[in-house]
Amino acid sequence: MAHPSSSTPPILSVTGFTKHFGEVKANTGVNLDVLAGEVHALVGENGAGKSTLLKMIYGIYEPDSGEMQIDGARVEPGNPAEARGLGIGMVFQDLRLVPALTVAENVALSLPGGQLLRLDAIAKKIEHASAQHGLAVHPKAKVRHLSIGERQRVEILKVLMTGARLVILDEPTSVLAPQEVDALFSVVRQLRDSGFGVVIVTHKLGEVRAIADRVTVLRGGVPILEGVDPAGYTNDELIEAMVGRAVDTIQADRTPGAKHDDDRPVLHLVDVRALGDRGHEALKGISFEVRRGELVGIAGVAGSGQRELCEVALGLRPTSAGRVILSGTETRRPTDAIRAGAVSVPEDPVSDAVVSRLSVLEHMALDGRALPRKGVGIDWAAIRRKTHTANERMQLRIAPPHRRVSELSGGNIQRVVLTRELSIDCSLVVAAYPSRGLDVANVNRTQEILLERRRGGAGVLMVSEDLDELMAIADRIVVMHDGHVSGIVDYADFDRQYIGRLMLGGAA
Amino acid sequence: MTGDVGLIPLIPERTRVVDWHRVGAVTLRWTAAILGALAIFSVLLVAKGSSPTEVFVDMWISTFGRAKSVEEIIIKMAPIVLAALAVAVPARAGLTNVGGQGQLIIGAVAAAGTALLLDGMLPGTVVFILMIVAGMTAGAAWAGIAALLRLTVKVNEAVSTLLLNFVALDLLLFLIYQPWRESSTGQPSTRELADAAKIPVVTGTGVNIGILLAVIAAAAVYFVLNYTRWGFRISVAGGNPEAARRAGMPVAALLLSALLVGGALAGLAGMINFAGTEYKLRPGFGASFGYLGFLASWLAAHKPLPILVAAFVFAALAVGGDSLQLDAQLPAATVNILTALILVAVLGWTRSKEKAL
Repeated sequence: MAHPSSSTPPILSVTGFTKHFGEVKANTGVNLDVLAGEVHALVGENGAGKSTLLKMIYGIYEPDSGEMQIDGARVEPGNPAEARGLGIGMVFQDLRLVPALTVAENVALSLPGGQLLRLDAIAKKIEHASAQHGLAVHPKAKVRHLSIGERQRVEILKVLMTGARLVILDEPTSVLAPQEVDALFSVVRQLRDSGFGVVIVTHKLGEVRAIADRVTVLRGGVPILEGVDPAGYTNDELIEAMVGRAVDTIQADRTPGAKHDDDRPVLHLVDVRALGDRGHEALKGISFEVRRGELVGIAGVAGSGQRELCEVALGLRPTSAGRVILSGTETRRPTDAIRAGAVSVPEDPVSDAVVSRLSVLEHMALDGRALPRKGVGIDWAAIRRKTHTANERMQLRIAPPHRRVSELSGGNIQRVVLTRELSIDCSLVVAAYPSRGLDVANVNRTQEILLERRRGGAGVLMVSEDLDELMAIADRIVVMHDGHVSGIVDYADFDRQYIGRLMLGGAA
Repeated sequence: MTGDVGLIPLIPERTRVVDWHRVGAVTLRWTAAILGALAIFSVLLVAKGSSPTEVFVDMWISTFGRAKSVEEIIIKMAPIVLAALAVAVPARAGLTNVGGQGQLIIGAVAAAGTALLLDGMLPGTVVFILMIVAGMTAGAAWAGIAALLRLTVKVNEAVSTLLLNFVALDLLLFLIYQPWRESSTGQPSTRELADAAKIPVVTGTGVNIGILLAVIAAAAVYFVLNYTRWGFRISVAGGNPEAARRAGMPVAALLLSALLVGGALAGLAGMINFAGTEYKLRPGFGASFGYLGFLASWLAAHKPLPILVAAFVFAALAVGGDSLQLDAQLPAATVNILTALILVAVLGWTRSKEKAL
């Protein structure tokens, strides 16, 4: 795109980037330019080609064709170090800091220097830079003591101190509480005002509106909108650009689910304490209940005990105190939970559900229910029929049964797990981040299914990092902070700011 | 009826009979890797002052050119196949059984003990069957020690099974030097097994029917791993214990049972070597069949049917190695170098290919 108004060339200008991996056309003719002093949002669904584009800009992938200019001069970074040398800085979604080291030590790792480590000098530089950019961090603090938001600031600072003039933030808000998002955005605005170019990847339209001067939308590796002013488009138009069709937003009706003779809570936690994997107390006295026909959301910043909570509810993690009761029976082992009619969507399906070498069909057999027998073997035909029925019912379109699951993408793996678990007749659904890795249409379908289970009389416990998602479909939201329940909010009282404060510990 | 799923053929990929294209590709890779190993080995031979072509021709003739050697290969194959299956079954459950050698020795010790106690008192066939039972049980128990250490105090089974090999060897030596020694003079060994309890020999040859037991065992393991509920469960527990746990499977019991079955197979290898080949326990009993089996299983990617091929290769190398010592005047250990080169070449190449896919 030409910008006749600006006399100086853009910091970054990408023209016609194309990258195909065999059959997969990750990027086809993608253009992107970023001016000094602007925030450019890059949006698209999972698999739209955003990551591929960023990796080409950052020198991780080499484009098949197309060219890239920095300040109007053609460049071809062959690796990330060269890209950094050109003034390109990248803040990855999974933050890459060493937790055992201090902020200064982490920054030192990324700075060029001799054999001598001059931490005091670096600490001075950090203080200077953090004052200049409004990024409050303490150089001597150990990274493991920092919150996710603070770690993100360290990453940004690191990038700035290596001389970046173009800062790329890859889905920076996915791990943050609303207040932390506000803080991040004020940093981004300050960067913009001091003449940096910022690329921010997101799939939340609210954030595009809040921060972006221009927006580029990718779909299927092809640019749909190129560097347009978001103000000129409605939300529906932007969503349609992302997914290629209009998508209705789900609105849950909060009428109570089907009445059931058994009115005991399907999940009842009484003052539950449990240790996390690192031996720290991850749950510090959790009490709440989930009833039939009720969808309870769990909100909280990452690592507040959500994972441990789900595992305790399913009998996967021993408790150190308190009681976990599913439909009236105390649960201590996974088989107890399965017998009580619980199904689950794990937080990390790749590490908790995918068995290397096994096919989709074989994974469909791993639903915790007895394997259908055929002599000493397994009645695979029965599982095949069940898979077919489940696929028809769930409409999440899982991959063909003979495919190895370890070869599928994250979203496809998630669909296999969702189809398997949510097609079982159950009393309790424990779903951790069920829409993770799914595109908009499948996110909607998944939410519909969860609401169907709720209407059918199951209790649903759903963990999500997306507060909007929880507020759209939950009957109640249990907010967790640092292993405690910092508040339980009923549907009538849902309020972003209030829940956000609870996520940060409830301090007013 | 034309949903996404309906279009898929009704036989799961995993259970298709034989994929000849793949067999061809694997054979080609093995051949190339073996040739590569021979090339490196040639360099060593030249450095040692021998002519590689002469050595290889000699080896080939003495390995395959004499009926006696071929019989020898088949005899050696039986314990190697079983020791390899003893690695392959636990491997399916994600466990590394390096203790085949020890389990084999203990299996032989139990078989020998049974024979010392009962042969002459009971009919030969009965003793023979009791020896099989004793050998397999003892091998399983020996592996069970490692399994329990793993499940209770989390000792890595690769380490414990390996260390138990030395314990087993010392136990064998203690028995043949002290309580079970045939006479205070001559070589330390037990008395020879009664003829009636020996494994039958195929008429007109020196080959005992141990190989038949080994092939049946390989077929049985193939069936059990691929077509039974237990085989499926241990694959899941081995592939991802967390997924198995979430599906309500008794992961600890599955791991334990897989290692016990492995131990039993190695115990059977020891019994066959005792009752079919050596007939008495002596200091060098069992050669290094347990370790060769370990290598064979890795070479065959822990698959029962390719294990037969790999075991054949190692048995042939072992026989060829003997001739290397006699004909080319090279140390007997020289063949170990060749064995190791082949293993590294095949593993290195096949693994890198798999990664590349």
